[in-house]
Amino acid sequence: MSVLKINGTEKVFDSGLPATLAALLEQLDVNAETVVAEVDGRIVERSEFEKTELHSGQAIELVRFVPGG
Amino acid sequence: MNEFYEKLKKATVGIAGLGGLGSTVAVALARTNISSLVIADFDTIEKSNLNRQQYFINQLGEYKTDAMIKNLKQINPQVKVEGYKQKLTAGNIPEIFADADIIAECFDRAEQKKMLVETVLAKMERPVVVTVSGLAGYGRSNEIVTRRISNRLIVIGDGESGTDLDMPLTAGRVWLAASHQANAIVEILVDEIIK
Repeated sequence: MSVLKINGTEKVFDSGLPATLAALLEQLDVNAETVVAEVDGRIVERSEFEKTELHSGQAIELVRFVPGG
Repeated sequence: MNEFYEKLKKATVGIAGLGGLGSTVAVALARTNISSLVIADFDTIEKSNLNRQQYFINQLGEYKTDAMIKNLKQINPQVKVEGYKQKLTAGNIPEIFADADIIAECFDRAEQKKMLVETVLAKMERPVVVTVSGLAGYGRSNEIVTRRISNRLIVIGDGESGTDLDMPLTAGRVWLAASHQANAIVEILVDEIIK
């Protein structure tokens, strides 16, 4: 079974994990330009989203930014 | 109690952006007697800023950085303030905030917020970053929360209320988020960073 812990909640992927972080964001409909991503506590820079492969059991934190300050 | 104030005498905090969040965080930290602030904003004060930002009518047109240095001196002349009037980029952030123990992300645009947080976490070894997402509108005070995402990342806000949803920025709600920031900064400095 393919599972990712996304923002603390386990999400099961019945038809397999998205191959990369970029693919996961696309599947979740998250804009890559306004999100900060950590995989297992490690920051992943925007330029690495396409290259970062995902594995079952990983903990992913996605911080989405909305404007205002 | 003494130990608390002694620790703050050794602390340096960076503030990226001096709008509603940044100007309010700066005022709160100066009043808390933080030793040293590094503040940065390239913008000047406009009339529309005065509904929530810590400036005055006679400062319209001044650089926010210059005006804030003056205002902080009036509040607490003991605080050392270093000001930068250039636009913050992934290239200059590590240098400008090199001495910071902790950095407050106080930008307006979502892309800029992301850029700062990513730069601090990826290009700098030490500082914690306290960022905000979701503070627009009014009411719903208790939806603004402080969350520890990881060792060096704290996120404040409701995560959803952006100005892109045609919500106004109101002093009360912006200051709530800024107060969460200032409060988290003091907590992390005293309990974790300063020995």
